[in-house]
Amino acid sequence: MLTMAEAVREAMSIAFEERPEVFLLGEDVGIYGGAFGVSGDMYHKYGADRVLDTPIAELGIVGAAVGAALSGMRPIVEIQFSDFTAQAMDQIANQAAKIHFMLGGALHVPMVLRTPQGSGTGAAAQHSQNLEPWFASVPGLKVVVPSNPADAKGLLLSAIDDPNPVIFLEHKLLYKIPGRDPVPEGATRIPLGVSKVVREGKDLTIVATGIMVNKSYEVAEKLAAEGITITLIDPRTISPLDMNPVFESVEKTGRLMVVQEGPAQAGFINEVIAQLAGSSSFGSLIAPIKRLAGMNIPIPYAPQLEKAAVPQIEDIEIAAREIVKNWR
Amino acid sequence: MSFKYPVVMPKMSMTMETGELINFHVAVGDQVKSGDVLFEVMTDKIDMEVEAPADGVIESLVANPGDVVEIGKPVLIMLTETEVMAFDFGATEDEESTIVAAVEVAAPAPVVEAPVIAPVVAAPAIVNETVKAVPKARVEAANRGIDLRTVRATGPDRTITMEDVNGAQLDPAIIKRQEANKALIAKGIEMTRAIAQASFTRSVNANFDHAQFIAAWAKVLRNRPDLAAHEHIGVALIIESKYGSALPVFRDPDRSNHADLVALVASTTDAAKNGKVPVAMLSGATTTVFDLTTYSMSSATPLLFPNQVTSVTIGYESATTKIVSLTIDLNFCDFYDGALLLDALVASL
Repeated sequence: MLTMAEAVREAMSIAFEERPEVFLLGEDVGIYGGAFGVSGDMYHKYGADRVLDTPIAELGIVGAAVGAALSGMRPIVEIQFSDFTAQAMDQIANQAAKIHFMLGGALHVPMVLRTPQGSGTGAAAQHSQNLEPWFASVPGLKVVVPSNPADAKGLLLSAIDDPNPVIFLEHKLLYKIPGRDPVPEGATRIPLGVSKVVREGKDLTIVATGIMVNKSYEVAEKLAAEGITITLIDPRTISPLDMNPVFESVEKTGRLMVVQEGPAQAGFINEVIAQLAGSSSFGSLIAPIKRLAGMNIPIPYAPQLEKAAVPQIEDIEIAAREIVKNWR
Repeated sequence: MSFKYPVVMPKMSMTMETGELINFHVAVGDQVKSGDVLFEVMTDKIDMEVEAPADGVIESLVANPGDVVEIGKPVLIMLTETEVMAFDFGATEDEESTIVAAVEVAAPAPVVEAPVIAPVVAAPAIVNETVKAVPKARVEAANRGIDLRTVRATGPDRTITMEDVNGAQLDPAIIKRQEANKALIAKGIEMTRAIAQASFTRSVNANFDHAQFIAAWAKVLRNRPDLAAHEHIGVALIIESKYGSALPVFRDPDRSNHADLVALVASTTDAAKNGKVPVAMLSGATTTVFDLTTYSMSSATPLLFPNQVTSVTIGYESATTKIVSLTIDLNFCDFYDGALLLDALVASL
């Protein structure tokens, strides 16, 4: 069983084999094998021409990738921590995302920006953020948040195929974990913009992103033993967002809970709530919508506080049980 | 036996929330006849006189001249021997109550809003003035004719849950209408009923056949479950023959496959012209459509059949245009609703 880091590496390696124009650049992705070991031995396998160690200069890294993409290459950028994308935001939001549209579709920017995100590593406020809504609110960017190795591989292959920029947000705590499902061999793609129904139940619909999918899954397994069954939906691509499975599921369960790691205020998951509230499925709700999200604070350094700042399995379990019990 | 009946601030427009009481035309102890003016009210749009819904005595004046009164709140209390039918729109047997309903509507329908209900009606008591309910409870209540104000909320934060709605009592008016509808099948069709109604007419530049028309009309009505006592929509199409008028009913035509519906309308029309409509198709009408174009007539005021709230005619105007007329029962919708309904129908054609 591959871990997510291995699955991402496998997808990149397949893309390297398939297309000579694919290359990887970023801080320590070469000789060191990546800050989280994702690129591993790729430097030794494909050489310094295709796995480029860069200076510590995020704006320059992404700018170089945008330029390369415009001239026919397919760069994969790794930014060491998603927090550092702030340095590169002009290239991401104003250049990569917009060029295709500013030039009337004449040029493409087939770039993938991979970056680890999230809390739980004791790395404090500047290295632990979940910035999904930053990217999801920029038209022109596609945003992928894989929750397991199999999805990460198939989605990354599609992201590399995509003719315009894709932001690929990998959770640090998932890197070392094998998935529940084996990673398919070969170059099987998973299309962007298709939500996945992870499991089906009749009492509650949970929509979660990234690591929260895994936490919610554990809760769903546990509550199933008590007779509470949960439909768990992983959007996988948060932009574009595929809401249809959510509408269909809420029409059956009547109850919706959304779970994300990032702060509640203006978080991505609020988009799921807004779209449901504006849809005809709204009339199927038999309970108020429950939102579980990070607190509106910088991620604390102290381990206990860091844990308390984002939803944990126990929080999801308590909330799921309550919504089903209180609203019948 | 006399009953206390609150005469309330009527709702005179879709946007009206309050009205100002100008003055009383009666004092405590006055004997009034049905139709006598009780008081005058003023809103942003209209001044009007509110009439007595039945004969009786003025028991007390609740509001004072100059007061701004919320719609549905009592202005005065009457004592009456008549069973004022706060919820009884559907009565077709009782001559007196039919008239009462009509008179009340002349002062547009305070009835639905009445916060206190005449005891004889035995409507569920209002337990919940400010209604909080989960969305599906609202949908369900509207479909089933449940007044959510009468439902006891057991959910968190005093919110009405699905369990609460499922255990709720149906509005007696709806039950009565449903019973009246059941009786109608045995009674046959009678066109006489004193009800307040309004008609609307629009010219339509469109070509449509009967199947398209009844499907379009059913679709419009589908969005207004409040106008139906039944879960289905039954469109009666009047077909004239040498045997007289036949009214075959097409159930839920908006949900039929179009080709099937065209075939059904054609075969039923043929059968009706030969005086042979399947018995199963003779009941369950919730609205009626009459095509006048065969007579080259442009419009008529469509009559409401008992227990139906709407009726439509199609008239001839020119080779390319037709006239669609709609009559509504003002007990169930106001002028604005009527205009919207006709507008939606025309738009869908």
